[in-house]
Amino acid sequence: MIEFYHVFKQYVKDQYALFDISLSIQKGEFVFLTGASGAGKSTLLKLIFKEELPSKGQILVNSSNINLIPQKELYLLRRDIGIVFQDFKLLANRTVYENVAIPLVVRGEKKSAIDKMVIKVLAQVGLSHRKNYFPTHISGGEQQRVAIARAIVGNPKIVIADEPTGNLDTELSIEVFRIFEKINANGITTIIATHDLHLLNMFPKRTLKLEQGKFTSSTPTGPAEVTL
Amino acid sequence: MNLLQSTLNNAFISISRNKLINFLSFGIIAFTLLIFGIFNYLSYSLETFANEFSKNIEAIFYFKDNVEQPEIDLLLKKLKESLLVEDVTFSSRDQAEIAFSRQFPELKYILSEFKTSPFPASIEVKFKQEYNIGTKVISFIEDIEKLSIIESKQVNLDWAQKVMAIKKFISLVGMFLSMILIFVSAFIIFNLIKLNIFYRKEEINIYRLVGATDWYIKIPFIIEGALLGFFGSIMACGLLFITLKLFPAYATFMYNIFKDMISFKNIPLILFLRLLLLGTGIGLLSSYISVRQFLKN
Ligand SMILES: Nc1ncnc2c1ncn2[C@@H]1O[C@H](COP(=O)(O)OP(=O)(O)O)[C@@H](O)[C@H]1O
Ligand SMILES: [Mg+2]
Repeated sequence: MIEFYHVFKQYVKDQYALFDISLSIQKGEFVFLTGASGAGKSTLLKLIFKEELPSKGQILVNSSNINLIPQKELYLLRRDIGIVFQDFKLLANRTVYENVAIPLVVRGEKKSAIDKMVIKVLAQVGLSHRKNYFPTHISGGEQQRVAIARAIVGNPKIVIADEPTGNLDTELSIEVFRIFEKINANGITTIIATHDLHLLNMFPKRTLKLEQGKFTSSTPTGPAEVTL
Repeated sequence: MNLLQSTLNNAFISISRNKLINFLSFGIIAFTLLIFGIFNYLSYSLETFANEFSKNIEAIFYFKDNVEQPEIDLLLKKLKESLLVEDVTFSSRDQAEIAFSRQFPELKYILSEFKTSPFPASIEVKFKQEYNIGTKVISFIEDIEKLSIIESKQVNLDWAQKVMAIKKFISLVGMFLSMILIFVSAFIIFNLIKLNIFYRKEEINIYRLVGATDWYIKIPFIIEGALLGFFGSIMACGLLFITLKLFPAYATFMYNIFKDMISFKNIPLILFLRLLLLGTGIGLLSSYISVRQFLKN
C-alpha cells in the first residue's frame, strides 16, 4: 500500500531531513510515527502525498510510483489520501460545514450527496451541533475534529494525521485517538505522527521511530504481519 | 452544474472582496473601450460621410494621343462590366471637336487651323449612386488613372478624398491610442488576478491538498478576468451611447457644419458588439496569462 525504497530528503545541502528510509505499510494498517521534534516525521508524511519530493529513492502509494505522477494527475493521489494537518488548515471565512464539504465540492459532487456525507462525518466526530459555526468560534479540540471530518469526508483509502493531539489535553487526545481507531476499523490505512509517549502506551500499535531522519535500529519497518 | 456554479460563485466573491482595485480596473477598462469606441465611431462616420458626399460621382478620363482603338475598347468593356459603373460614354477626338463647335459657334474658326481635332478622346463614366460604395469608387478611379493609356482625369471628388484622408489619420491615431490603453488595461487585470491569487494562496493550497484539479483552481480566476472585461465593456457601451447622444447637441450649438458632417443619428450595433468582444477578450487573455504565471503549482 505504502512503500519507501531508500528514500533520502534534503532541504538544504549536506543536511538530511530523512536518510535512507525504507518502509512498508499494508492496506488497513494503523501505524504510529514517532520521534523528537525535528526528527523528520512531518517530512516523511509530506512525501506520501507528494507535497515534498524525495531527493533520492522511490515511493509507492497504492502500487503506483508517485515520482512518476504528472502534475495534472496529482489530484487523483490526493483524493485517495485524507490529511489532518498539524495546523488544521481550516478556512476562517467558512463555516464548519463548508470547511468539511471542500473535498467534495472540488470533486463536483451534487449538493444532496455533499449534504449527506458532511452530515454523516460531522456526526461521526461529534460535531453536528457546530456545523454552522466558524472555526474561530469553536475550541481547539473541536477544530481538530473538523480537520479530521474533512480528511475522511471523501472516502479516502489512507488517512494521515500530523501530531493531531499536539495542542490538546490528555482527555481530548484520547477522544481524538478513539476517532482514529474507528476510522481505521472501517479499513482505512491510518498513519499518525505523534511524540506523545503516554498515548503510544495507551494505544499499542505498530510504531515507527525516527531519530534525526533515520529509523532507530529497533524499529520494524516491514508490515506488521511480518513482525508479529 | 454544481462545479460551474461554485466556480462562478468564487469569481464573484473574489470580485466583491477587493472592491477598490476591482473598481479601478473596471474603470480603466471602461475608459479604454470608450476611447476605442469613439475613434471607431468617428472613422465610421467619416467614411459614411465620404460615401454620401461621393454620390453622383462622374469622372472623365482623357486618353493619350497615340492610343489605339482596341485599347480603348478594352477599357470600355472593363468599365461596363464593373459593378460600380452606371453608364459609360465614349467620345472620339472628332466627336469632341463637333461638341466644341456646337457649344461655342463663335470660336469655330479656331478649329479650322488644325488638320485633325485638337481634342483628346475621352470617356465619361457615371458611377452608381448606391450607398456605401463611394470609397470603393475612389480607389477604382485611382486605379484607372494609373493606366498607361490615360493622360489625365477630371473628377468631382476632391472633398470626399480629403475626408477619406482625415478618416485614415483618425483611424491611425485611434489605433495607436487604443493599443496603449489596451495594454494598460491588460496589465492592470494581470496584476489584479495576481493579487487575488496571492490573497487566496491558503485556500488554493488547501484545495490542491484535498484533490482539486488544476483547472478547478485556475478557472475562477480566468472567469474573474473575463467578467471584469465584460462588465467594463458594458459600461463602455453605455458611456459611448451617452457621449454620442450628448455630443451632437453641443456640436449643433458650436459648429453647425461639423454636426452635419458627422451623422450621429445611427450608432451601428456592430460597434457595441466589437466593444463587448474586445473587453471580454482582454479580460480573458490577461487573466489567463496571470494564472499561467502565478498558479504553476
Ligand atoms: N521546508 C523546510 N526547509 C528547510 N528545512 C526544513 C523544512 N521542513 C523541515 N525542515 C527540516 O527538516 C528536519 C525535519 O523536520 P520535520 O520533518 O518537520 O520534523 P518533525 O515533523 O519530526 O518535527 C528539521 O531539521 C527541519 O528543520
Ligand atoms: Mg512536524
